[in-house]
Amino acid sequence: MKKVFVWLSFFAVLSFLLSASPVRAQEYPAFTLAWSEYPSWSTFGVLHEAGVINGALGKVGPVEEKWGVDIVLEEMDYDSTIQLYASGQADAVCITNMDILSPSLSLNSVAVLPTSTSFGADALIVSDKIKDFNDLKKVNVAGLDLSVSSYTFDANLELQGENPDQYRFVNMDPATAALQFQQGALDAIVVWNPFVLDTLEKRSDSRVMFDSTSIPGEIIDMVVVSQASLAKPQGKAFASAVIDAFYELNKMLADPAEGDDTLIALGEKFSNLGLQSMRKVVKQTKFYSTPEEALQLLEGEQLKATMKKVVAYCVKREIVEQAPMVTFGTQQQGNLLFDSSYIKNVMATPKE
Amino acid sequence: MIGPSLKPVPRIMIMAASVMIIILGYTYLAHKQHIKNPKDKTIPTWVQLKEGVEKIFEKNKRSGERWIVVDAQASARRLFLGLLWGIAGAVAVGLAIGCFPVMEAVFAPSLAILAKLPPTAALALFFVMLGTGTSMFVGIIVVGILPVLAQSIYLAIKDVPRELIDKATTLGASRPELVWNVIVFHVLPQIINAIRLQIGPALVYLIAAEYATAHIGFGYRLRLQARLVNMDVVYPYLAILIIFGFLMDGVLKYAMNRLCRWYEYEGR
Repeated sequence: MKKVFVWLSFFAVLSFLLSASPVRAQEYPAFTLAWSEYPSWSTFGVLHEAGVINGALGKVGPVEEKWGVDIVLEEMDYDSTIQLYASGQADAVCITNMDILSPSLSLNSVAVLPTSTSFGADALIVSDKIKDFNDLKKVNVAGLDLSVSSYTFDANLELQGENPDQYRFVNMDPATAALQFQQGALDAIVVWNPFVLDTLEKRSDSRVMFDSTSIPGEIIDMVVVSQASLAKPQGKAFASAVIDAFYELNKMLADPAEGDDTLIALGEKFSNLGLQSMRKVVKQTKFYSTPEEALQLLEGEQLKATMKKVVAYCVKREIVEQAPMVTFGTQQQGNLLFDSSYIKNVMATPKE
Repeated sequence: MIGPSLKPVPRIMIMAASVMIIILGYTYLAHKQHIKNPKDKTIPTWVQLKEGVEKIFEKNKRSGERWIVVDAQASARRLFLGLLWGIAGAVAVGLAIGCFPVMEAVFAPSLAILAKLPPTAALALFFVMLGTGTSMFVGIIVVGILPVLAQSIYLAIKDVPRELIDKATTLGASRPELVWNVIVFHVLPQIINAIRLQIGPALVYLIAAEYATAHIGFGYRLRLQARLVNMDVVYPYLAILIIFGFLMDGVLKYAMNRLCRWYEYEGR
């Protein structure tokens, strides 16, 4: 009798599991997007809060429903998102055009959506003591090594005809560098927002010596999807859904009625700078807020020159051992492909 | 322990097998990851790891220095200075609060609080107080290990059998003699054991601080290479840390055997 009961319960569990699986199959395929707090990437967190997409596994918002995919959002710090993506645990990642080069050597990647470009968001801030380049040579310049900070520093020096090797760039986490500078322990730092605005506000004798406005469109924040994930069923729909959602948020930002609230929501976790400063932040981190602007970048000639320069920098600084093959258009080869077809696909798909 | 001890041969074989499980487990994981993506760098194969090790030990083309040499020098200096001050301070404070009730009242509460503080979460505090030079790394290690170490010494002293102290007093020992000849020697093995257990945490604090602010050292290299997804460099560095930990353990065990011949314990 006991045995019969055991068998019955075994079958009950089994049939429950079997009946559960077809339900799961009917659900939308899930894709993971790893993101970290940054003005144009926090958009995905805000979209989740606004209910446009639902970042939880097994739950979908209207945009996800439209494209038939389930976008799963994973928020963590920047370094971790890169590792999650490189290990294949995330299908897509929010990353800069420079930091993607190293992961792309092991995981062929497609840049499907440029979200913003640094236009003053990366800056060299100095104190009163530093009057010119000769003064700068004598002090330690603190910033995150082998990152967009060191790139901004080197590129600007070269623009001025200076040799970056004659300067002492020392590695320091941007938050730490900003704190040290504000306490007067340092005289020159290269950091990004919110630390740029925060530091200028908190130390009165500080000024920007140069920033990324002199290298417009060279530091690009974007969404990258692995080629393998795009090849999965509904992979292309996933890329389209992410793009669609991003432009939904830009519409919210442009809307006079809800624009300010959206901006505040964007800034909430990113910094505690308030509305006025957030207006400045989005000026210094220029959004590619329409598909047209994004296409202009992706299909323009400047991007090719930019990527050549960035790759050369990364090879020189040994960020990558060999130059990754960067391609443009829709060809399916190369380590990193800038592909505008997904944005076009979203533009061509009628609104529901 | 319960049950008869194992004979040497089966014992060594079982120990080797348990290490093999770790190695095989890693190999399997790397294999699985490379089926998914043949070029994967997040869980490198042994061949990839070999290349990473070469990168660590060869002369760097740009700087002309070997990563491992410069990093080990920088980190070892910070670690040993931190350990030195931490241990010296802990012994002094531990003995003081263990032996003298006044000291106990002064230090014990603040030690109890500090022992619960995770220094890695209060990095900013250390930057403000100590800047970002060597003293900051030393400071964070000291604050990390001193309270716990002092507390274990304090507890060990409380465990010194009353009759030992009574006997020494009856035989006419002075205060200093009592502290040095009876108490210090009685708790010395526990002190060494406590130090052994604090090597790991000291490393954690050092690496965390180097993660945030260092342009040389183990934590710097680990963070940078992890961001570039060069795990073929990261894992050998971790292996070096493990080996270093074993070496330190061995040295302290040896010191214990030499210094505390009267003390019997199982791991001897």
